[in-house]
Amino acid sequence: MSEKIRVLSVLVMDTPNTLTKVSGAIRRRGFHVRGISVGPSQEAGRFRITLQVDHGHAEADQVRKQLERLVEVVEVEDLTEDQVHSRELVVATVATSELEGLLRHGAKVLASGPRGTTLEFSGEREEVGEFVDELNRHGIVDVVRTGPVVMRRTA
Amino acid sequence: MILEALEREGVEYIFGYPGGANLPIYQHLPEHPKLRHILVRHEQGAAHMADGFARASGKPGVVFATSGPGALNLITGLCTAYMDSVPMVAITGQVPSTVVGRDAFQESDVIGATSSVTKHSYLVTKIDQLPRVIHEAFHIATTGRPGPVLIDICRDVQQADAERVTPERLEIPGYRLNGHVDLGQARQAAEALAGAERPVILAGHGVLLSHAERELQDLAEAAAAPTGTTLLGIGAFPVQHPLSLHMTGFMGTGWNLNAVQNADVLMMVGMRVDDRVTAKLAGFAPRVKTFIHVDIDGSEMGKNVRPHIELVADARQALAAMLPYVGELDQGRAEWLNQIDAWREEHPLRYKRSNGRLQPQDVLIDMYRRARSEAIVVADVGQNQIWAALWWNYDRPGLFINSGGAGTMGFALPAAIGAKFARPDVPVWCVAGEGGFVMTAQELSVAVEHQLDVKIVLLNNFSLGMVRQFQDDFYGGVRSQVDLTHMPDFVKLAEAYGLPAIRVDRLEDVAAAFDAAERTRGPFLIDFRIDPEANVYPIVPIGKSLNDFWESPES
Repeated sequence: MSEKIRVLSVLVMDTPNTLTKVSGAIRRRGFHVRGISVGPSQEAGRFRITLQVDHGHAEADQVRKQLERLVEVVEVEDLTEDQVHSRELVVATVATSELEGLLRHGAKVLASGPRGTTLEFSGEREEVGEFVDELNRHGIVDVVRTGPVVMRRTA
Repeated sequence: MILEALEREGVEYIFGYPGGANLPIYQHLPEHPKLRHILVRHEQGAAHMADGFARASGKPGVVFATSGPGALNLITGLCTAYMDSVPMVAITGQVPSTVVGRDAFQESDVIGATSSVTKHSYLVTKIDQLPRVIHEAFHIATTGRPGPVLIDICRDVQQADAERVTPERLEIPGYRLNGHVDLGQARQAAEALAGAERPVILAGHGVLLSHAERELQDLAEAAAAPTGTTLLGIGAFPVQHPLSLHMTGFMGTGWNLNAVQNADVLMMVGMRVDDRVTAKLAGFAPRVKTFIHVDIDGSEMGKNVRPHIELVADARQALAAMLPYVGELDQGRAEWLNQIDAWREEHPLRYKRSNGRLQPQDVLIDMYRRARSEAIVVADVGQNQIWAALWWNYDRPGLFINSGGAGTMGFALPAAIGAKFARPDVPVWCVAGEGGFVMTAQELSVAVEHQLDVKIVLLNNFSLGMVRQFQDDFYGGVRSQVDLTHMPDFVKLAEAYGLPAIRVDRLEDVAAAFDAAERTRGPFLIDFRIDPEANVYPIVPIGKSLNDFWESPES
């Protein structure tokens, strides 16, 4: 990953315009979204967005500052330099019943049938990458991946 | 319910245009005589009028427009206000909530189209949201770094009946105000300024918005720091003050630019430090050891220039907090101030007057002699704007209004009309080139309808002067699509709209024309046919540093 990538955890209001405003602010300032995950937070009416953003030629803290200007944004944490738990999820179907290698990574079988086996795997970005390499060796029928969810390590 | 809410917010003037999607609002308008609605001739005019009103009064400007094209016509005006941090609330009609998203007649995604040129926006689809939204909109538009807020209200909501709920305390979790001054940083900044050998202060629009002119002058005097302003900061520091550096930036004065380029401590207050201020960024203020940046918007810190000391705070509070820490100056300022005086002597503002043509500066100097600091000048964009900025001595805040950030041609006439509604007691002069003037000239009808005492000074050079100057100087001398010889006869145009006008070609007729304008009640237009070759100087060539400025070739 290039050093121009910032990892941000953004607490936002759940409004129809929030995602547009967040992505619009990023685009308008010449930044580029490299990974995004959105889901409810522990607070009602507020969602958590995990973002990986390439800030291009701008100063690193500009991404956080520009997002903080948005009224829809409640809080922005820059986790780039922090010790974190970072997880990405991959769900894939492979046309093989030789699952030992995949299971050794820690994958879980969701379903299996005559057209292949569907597995899920979650881990850090590198682990997901290695898992996908392993999938490639088996022949991928279909694969979907999420962006990361990232939380600062507290313990 | 909308109109009652506006009354509660203290709104006096609304600049607007009715249409299919805001008819329910207009139906009830006559029941609210306290709300004065000004019918514009184009929605862009409404936005600029509200902008001029806000800049002249300090109160938020309010705009009405209908859905689709009506709302989209506001965009340039919203952008102008957004770039210059002007408080405004635009209320647009939207198609009924039941048909939103179905490409209904005059439907457009106004929230989507305006998101990047508004501080915030709301789509209201349910009546119970409305009181809170209107109250929040005015709060957001007017506090912190001000800006335009848009409320898009579906037509069925405008018609809905609901209990009149007075909004409770505002709770906007994502809206934080930076009021708090960090005293440690204030002290650091003051000490850096006091300890400097060659200090310079630059003041932007933020100083005017927070009414920090007194605090700025006190600090500049205590630190014996020469002080200039940005184009939008004009009026923040008296031009005739001994410490004044006048205007900075790539069309700033020679003594200002030399001071900035030689300063060792540069404090920038309430400004964005944009490319028009820095010219070539890598060559900006190269001898500075300590940049101090004061701005209420934290995202301005390091956006263009990374400060060594930053104060994210209201300018007035920050400057007031710094003052007690300035103390006794470590070293005399005589050498630095003498140097600046020498630059002022060496690089005075000057202009060509040898060719017998009417020079725009002559017009403005005569105008200033009459008005002194008792008039508001609203300039358009281009050469006229810079001439009006440099050739008047603005010694008080709020006397010079222009579109600095967006650079919107066509701004001046409607903004001057808005300013006159805000300040009926003060003479208002609209200074425009003929190119910008015709972009919104239809608003003359508004000036005539309300017999507004707006005097229009047209600096008519039969071309897009600033573009022509750039083409001559920086784009190989190729004059491409800048000729405006085919324009209306402006005296007849004015008469057609119903206002008196005269034409002036010669210097000796300038005074009589101004006499006539001042004698006339209501709007008046003077078509000054100026030297088509007149240029703006000083100017920094594109891509060069501030110290590479060019001066007028003759004086």
